[in-house]
Amino acid sequence: MKRTEPPQFATRMLEHCTPADRHEVLSGDLLEEFRSGRSEAWYWRQVFAACAVSWTESLRARIPLFVFALIWSMLAPAWKVFIDGIESAPIIDRILDPLGILGAPPLLAGWLLLNGSFLWAGMLVYILTLSACGKVFRRNEVRRPFLLVPFVYAWVFGAWTFLCMLDWTTPFENGTFPATPLGQITGLGALEDAMRIPYIIALLAVFWNVIPRSKHAALSEAEMEQADSAAQSDPVALIANFDPFAVKRFFALMVGAGVINAMIAGFLLCGLPESHSPTLTSLLIRAVIYVAVGALAGVGGAWIYWKNPASPFRENPPIPFPHFALVCATAWVWVPCMIIFSEQVSPAAALVAMTGALILANGLRSVTASVFVPAQHDTSYLAPEEAEIFAESLYRAPHEVHGYLIAICVYAAGCALATRSNLTAAALLALGAFLFAWKRTFVQDKVLENSKVYKRGALRLALIAIPAVLVTIWALLDGVAHRNHLAEVNMALADNGTSANDGAQQKATDQASTNGVGGYESVILWPLPEKKQIIPPLTAQESLLAPGTTRPLIIPFDGPYWYIQPPNENPGPKAHQARGTPLGADIESSNSVPLTMEAHQTLGTAIHIARCREIQVGIENRDNKAGVIAIAVLLTDTASPEKPALYLGQQPIVSTEPEHFSFKTMPASETLYFAVPESTKIRKFNEINVMLLSDVEHALIAPKIAIRQFKLFPR
Amino acid sequence: MLLLAVIHLGDEAYGVPISRQLEASRGRDVSVGSVYAALERLEAKGLVTSSLGDPTPERGGKAKRYFRITKEGLRQVHETRRVLTKLWQVLPELRLGSR
Repeated sequence: MKRTEPPQFATRMLEHCTPADRHEVLSGDLLEEFRSGRSEAWYWRQVFAACAVSWTESLRARIPLFVFALIWSMLAPAWKVFIDGIESAPIIDRILDPLGILGAPPLLAGWLLLNGSFLWAGMLVYILTLSACGKVFRRNEVRRPFLLVPFVYAWVFGAWTFLCMLDWTTPFENGTFPATPLGQITGLGALEDAMRIPYIIALLAVFWNVIPRSKHAALSEAEMEQADSAAQSDPVALIANFDPFAVKRFFALMVGAGVINAMIAGFLLCGLPESHSPTLTSLLIRAVIYVAVGALAGVGGAWIYWKNPASPFRENPPIPFPHFALVCATAWVWVPCMIIFSEQVSPAAALVAMTGALILANGLRSVTASVFVPAQHDTSYLAPEEAEIFAESLYRAPHEVHGYLIAICVYAAGCALATRSNLTAAALLALGAFLFAWKRTFVQDKVLENSKVYKRGALRLALIAIPAVLVTIWALLDGVAHRNHLAEVNMALADNGTSANDGAQQKATDQASTNGVGGYESVILWPLPEKKQIIPPLTAQESLLAPGTTRPLIIPFDGPYWYIQPPNENPGPKAHQARGTPLGADIESSNSVPLTMEAHQTLGTAIHIARCREIQVGIENRDNKAGVIAIAVLLTDTASPEKPALYLGQQPIVSTEPEHFSFKTMPASETLYFAVPESTKIRKFNEINVMLLSDVEHALIAPKIAIRQFKLFPR
Repeated sequence: MLLLAVIHLGDEAYGVPISRQLEASRGRDVSVGSVYAALERLEAKGLVTSSLGDPTPERGGKAKRYFRITKEGLRQVHETRRVLTKLWQVLPELRLGSR
């Protein structure tokens, strides 16, 4: 049984991967040959070859552009330094400071102008260079990129910065440029390259369709243009000639521009209220303003691209802009609350993004039904081609590539959420939700009048804005609570720091609450049962560093590890208890509040301070995260009512220092030495507390360091 | 070869017969896509011209693109033939298969 239709996916591939003026005739030729008896394998070979030829041709035609974009972008870091100099000039602050928030639009315009100037200069050099080499540019083609380039750059820069933020390795924050312009131009560091990439992409994007021609080709094209001018002047024919793929692409651009604009507005304008306990009315007003800001910024961003001279929708839009804006605004209203959640590192940001994407896809699919051919069920599998053999037609499962994409998005978003990359998760879930809703939205065939369409659009926006306002209020409330908690934490950290140095840290607050606002629950990690074979408490006081004793007293550690968050000083009664060793346990902060790790060894009997000269703390380090960790030791007398404590100071763990750091598959043993002063405030102690003082890298992830033993040396 | 195929096919010179002609001459598969790429390069040089025919049902409603040789193209073909002939004439006689 021979199929009469070629593989559908191959045909689609051919349509999208070859130039528009070629794929029409090429697909006709291939179909004719296929129907004359060629195999499917032959068809696939032809499609792959055609795609490869097209890509090669396409890239070869743009080699001068690639080379020029690379060379010109080398100057970008130097230009960036120049711009920074202008932006940080005192006169700019003097002008903009009195304007407050109203200073943002002129600042943005200035930024666009400065970056646009660099790109305009580059484009001019490119055109003049190629013109000198005998190439010809069409004026219309060149004018559009000149007008577009600052906006394209802004969009690319926003997207690039967003991408860098997703990975938490943004090179814009920490790096510095070389001091000299030559160093900036020739520098190939991460910061320099990160600055160059948006310029390269912007130049390539605006000039992608501007391919210089030889003079001969330009002449013949001019003749053809004259012949086509009559057809071009007919707007109806223009709409009919829209390539659906191009229309989809431009719709995606408009929506993307709106989202980016709404996000920029959100980051700039949507902050938390200054009050620590705002009223519900003030929150409601603020939420309504934020939702309106999101919608208006999105509409503004889309409008700029819709109406720009390069847009095919400017003259003959497939749908009216107000209609498009009403539909998209239902998604943009969610952007402010998503941003507020994302600033709190909350997974709710991903859920909000997903909701917005679902609503957007649903609305867009319905609205653009008249533009795109409505999705039709593939009935080719019911064709009676197999009827000669089988009584009934064989069912062929339709190809659903989007299903795989959605699944990948969901799994990847799950992974991102697990690693607390909430913005990545938000982007992935939004993409998955959009695809799902786009494919599953039922499109109605009936066409409504414009007035009815607007009414329905406005009603839909109003209905969706209400939950958006409520979620924004929730985000604001959560944000205020989070901020208040962080302020408490900072105060407590400051207090702890001073009190530890004074040797009076042990201030029992047993009744204190133990759960953070972000939902973190303190953890107590007990050693595994087999370790209990070696048992303190110590039995006889006489044997403990008695006068005349020279041998050190070895106490294997068998106490609990505490993982708490300030201001809590102990895990409290509701703490989660588990057995294990810190060398194998992955314990992380579930919010953005740093973790504190402590190890507590209780001695059955008190030891006199005067009899102890030095304490050696044996540890095992299996931590593979770079960053210096120190250990502090505190001796406490819990038998006394005041619970006095003696702070022995802190020592860095050598194996965590950068010069000794290595990747460890087995724990590294190390001993730290703490001298015990002869005269102290306290006379004896019955508990040894070890605090692991982490750096920023370990602030949210507990270090994999275990206490092995204590060695107490007699004086 | 392409120019000769276009001349040979005359008014029927479009993608499918040109590819078949080339396949028959070379004895192996020819990519229709690369044939079009080459023809477009020739068109840019002014050696051939192309025009779209009417859509036909056996091609799924897609039009054919017919190619015709230009005067410049013909001149190039003759020039190439003349150069090749001259080169062949100055070569010593080749005895294929002899020791």
